Amino acid sequence: MTTSTPRHGPAPPPFADSPLFPLGRHSAPPSGDYRWVSPWGGPLRFTHWVAFLTITVLVITGFFINRPYFLTTGGPPQYLMGYIRLAHFIAAGLLVAAGLIRFYWLFAGNQFERLPALFPIRWRDWVNLWKQVKYYLMLEGDHGIYYIGHNPLQQLSYTFTYVIAIVMVISGFAMYGQASPGGLWYSLTQPMVLAVGGIQIVRLTHHLCTWWFIIFPIMHIYLVLRKDITEHGGGLSGIFSGGHYIKADIQYVDE
Amino acid sequence: MFFPTQFPWAKDQTLGEHLEASGVSRRDFLEFCGQMAVLIGLTEMAAPRVAAALEGVKRPVVIWIQLQECTGCVESVLRSADPSIGELILNIVSLDYSHTLMAASGTAAEDALHASMKANMGEYLLVVTGSVPLAEDGMYTVIGGRTAKEILIEAAAGAKAVIGVGACAHWGSVQAAKPNPTGAVGIAEIIKDKPVVHLAGCPPIAETVTATLVHYLTFGGLPELDGDGRPRFAYGARIHDQCSRRANFDAGQYVEVFDDEAARKGWCLYKVGCKGPETFSPCPIFMWNMKTSWPIGAGHPCIGCTERGFWDTMTPFYDRLPNVAGIGIERTADTIGAALAVGTIAGVAAHATATTVHQIRSRKKAAAAAEGGHDGQD
Ligand code: HEM
Ligand code: SF4
Ligand code: SF4
Repeated sequence: MTTSTPRHGPAPPPFADSPLFPLGRHSAPPSGDYRWVSPWGGPLRFTHWVAFLTITVLVITGFFINRPYFLTTGGPPQYLMGYIRLAHFIAAGLLVAAGLIRFYWLFAGNQFERLPALFPIRWRDWVNLWKQVKYYLMLEGDHGIYYIGHNPLQQLSYTFTYVIAIVMVISGFAMYGQASPGGLWYSLTQPMVLAVGGIQIVRLTHHLCTWWFIIFPIMHIYLVLRKDITEHGGGLSGIFSGGHYIKADIQYVDE
Repeated sequence: MFFPTQFPWAKDQTLGEHLEASGVSRRDFLEFCGQMAVLIGLTEMAAPRVAAALEGVKRPVVIWIQLQECTGCVESVLRSADPSIGELILNIVSLDYSHTLMAASGTAAEDALHASMKANMGEYLLVVTGSVPLAEDGMYTVIGGRTAKEILIEAAAGAKAVIGVGACAHWGSVQAAKPNPTGAVGIAEIIKDKPVVHLAGCPPIAETVTATLVHYLTFGGLPELDGDGRPRFAYGARIHDQCSRRANFDAGQYVEVFDDEAARKGWCLYKVGCKGPETFSPCPIFMWNMKTSWPIGAGHPCIGCTERGFWDTMTPFYDRLPNVAGIGIERTADTIGAALAVGTIAGVAAHATATTVHQIRSRKKAAAAAEGGHDGQD
C-alpha cells in the first residue's frame, strides 16, 4: 500500500449528477482533505475480474444446462448443448485457477488481502460489525465505520461468497466426475456424494447456490456505489486502479 | 433349453458332467459362456476360460430369503433371457429355500431352510430381496414367528457371500422413502461382517443376477464393486453416457411434451425429467425382457431406480431437480431463488431511497447548523 500527502479528494463519480441517481444528486459534496491509499494489489484485482467473467459465464450456461430454453426443436442437428457444457467446464477451470491464485495471495498479499482480513477476528471487529449494521439500517451515524479494507460486514459477506464458490467447485466436480467413474474427480468426491444423500442433492445444492451469484452482485454493486457516492472515496474505480481516497483527518480502524 | 429339468443336477456332479448328461452341446455352452463373459466385463475371448471354470464347479447351494418386499424382483429375475435365470437357479444352482419358488410350505419349508443352512454352514450363497424394517422392534415383517432382522442375521451368519437383489435390499426402496414409517433399512445396515453385493434397481435386470452368479461360480468370488456396493461390470457407467439418445442431448434436441414431434422422432428426454445423467445402470446395454427394449428406448425418461434414495431425490420424476421442502409446501429451487433475488432488488431500491432521504435531511441539518453557527459568531 502506498499513501500520499493530504490533498483534495476526487470529484464525485461521473454518473452522480444523472437524474437516474437521485442519491448522487442529493448527497453532500466532498469536503476536507483526502489522501490516497492503494490496498488492492494486482493479483487481487486480476482474480476479482477473472471471477466476475467466469461466474457470469457459469451462471448463464448453468441455467441453460438446467433448462435448455432455445433451439429445442427443429433446425439442423448442432452441438449446442455440447458447446454450452464445454463453456461451463472451461469457465469452471478458469475459476479454479483464479481461486488458486487468490489462495496463494491469502498468504502473500498485503494486510488487506491476507487470510486474517477475511474474518472479524478481533473483539473490536465484532463491535464494529454491530455498529455497521446499525448504520446500514440508518439507526446510527452519518457514515460507516472507517475501514480502509473491508469492514466486518463486508468480511462476512465476501468470505461467505468464497465459501459458496468452494461449494460450487466441489459440487461441480462431483457432477463432472460422474461421467468417468473410477476417475480422479469421481474418486475424490464419491464419499461426499454418498454422505449427502446422492448426486441429486449435490445437483440441487449446485443449483440453489447459483442464486447467490445473482443475489450477491446486486447487493455488492449497490453498496459499492452507495459508498462511493456518499463518502467520495472513488472506491468503485479502486477495483481497477487498486486504490481510492480516504479522509486525511480520520484514523482508520485497520490502518 | 440349456438345463432341462428332467436332468436334475446331482450334488457331487460337476457342472460339465451335468451339462453333458443333460444333452447340452459344447457349442451352445460356449456361446452362453461368451455372452456371460461380455456381461461380466471380459471379452468374448474369455469364453473358454469361463467355460473351463464353470465346467469344474460342483453344485452350489443358494438360499434365497425374501424380507419386506413385493416379490417383483423374483418375478423380474424369472424373466431373464435364455438360458433363463429361472432355469439356472432351479437347476444349476440348487435353490434350497425361496418363498416364491420352493415347493414346500409352512413348517416344512422352515425346517428345510434350517436343515440346508446347517448342512452347508459357511458354504452357501445367500440371496436377499427386501428391506429390514427396524421400527416397533421389527413387527412390520414377521415370517414364521421371527422378524426380518432375526431371519437375516441367522441366514447371513453361515453364508459364504451375500447378494442383495433389488432396491429394497440395497437401501430400503419405497418403504424407506420419507417418512419411512417402518424404519426400513438395506441389508448392509445389518450385515456388517461380510461383503454384500447389491444388484440395485427396482427391479434389477435379470441378467445382472445371472451374470453375478456366473462370476461367483467362475472366479469363486464376488465381482468388483463400486462405492455403493454395486458390481462395476453392470453399474459402472451412467445411463446418460451409454444412451442411444445422447446425440440428441448434445445437439440440443429435446422432447418438450410426451406427444410432440420431438417425441415421435425419438429425441432426448432430458427436459421431461430424464434421470439418465444421474443414474448408473446397465439398462441401455443389457436391456429388458430378453433385449426387447428398455425404458428410454420406449420413450419414457429414466426415473433413476438404481440409485440410493431415488424415491426422495429423483422425484418429481418429470422434472430435473428435487423440490425443496418448505413450511407446509414444497417449492422448486428456482421459485426460492427468484423470490430471494426479487426481494434483494426491492430491498436495495428501498435502501437507496431511504439513503437519499437521509442525505437530504443531514444536508439540511448541516446547512441549518452552519447558518446558526454564523449567526452565533456575529
Ligand atoms: C460460480 C460457479 C458456478 C455456477 C454459478 C454454476 C452453475 C450451474 C448450474 C445452474 C447448473 C445447472 C444445474 C442443474 O440444475 O442441473 C450447473 C451444472 C453443472 N455444473 Fe456448474 N456452476 C458453477 C461452477 C461449476 C464448477 C466449478 C464446475 C466444475 C467442473 C461445474 C460443473 C458443473 C456440471 C458438471 C454441471 C452439470 C452438467 C450436466 O449435468 O450436464 N460448475 N452449474
Ligand atoms: S434420454 Fe436421458 S439418458 Fe438419454 S441422453 Fe437424454 S437425458 Fe441422457
Ligand atoms: S431406465 Fe432408469 S429407472 Fe428405468 S429401469 Fe433403468 S435405471 Fe431404472
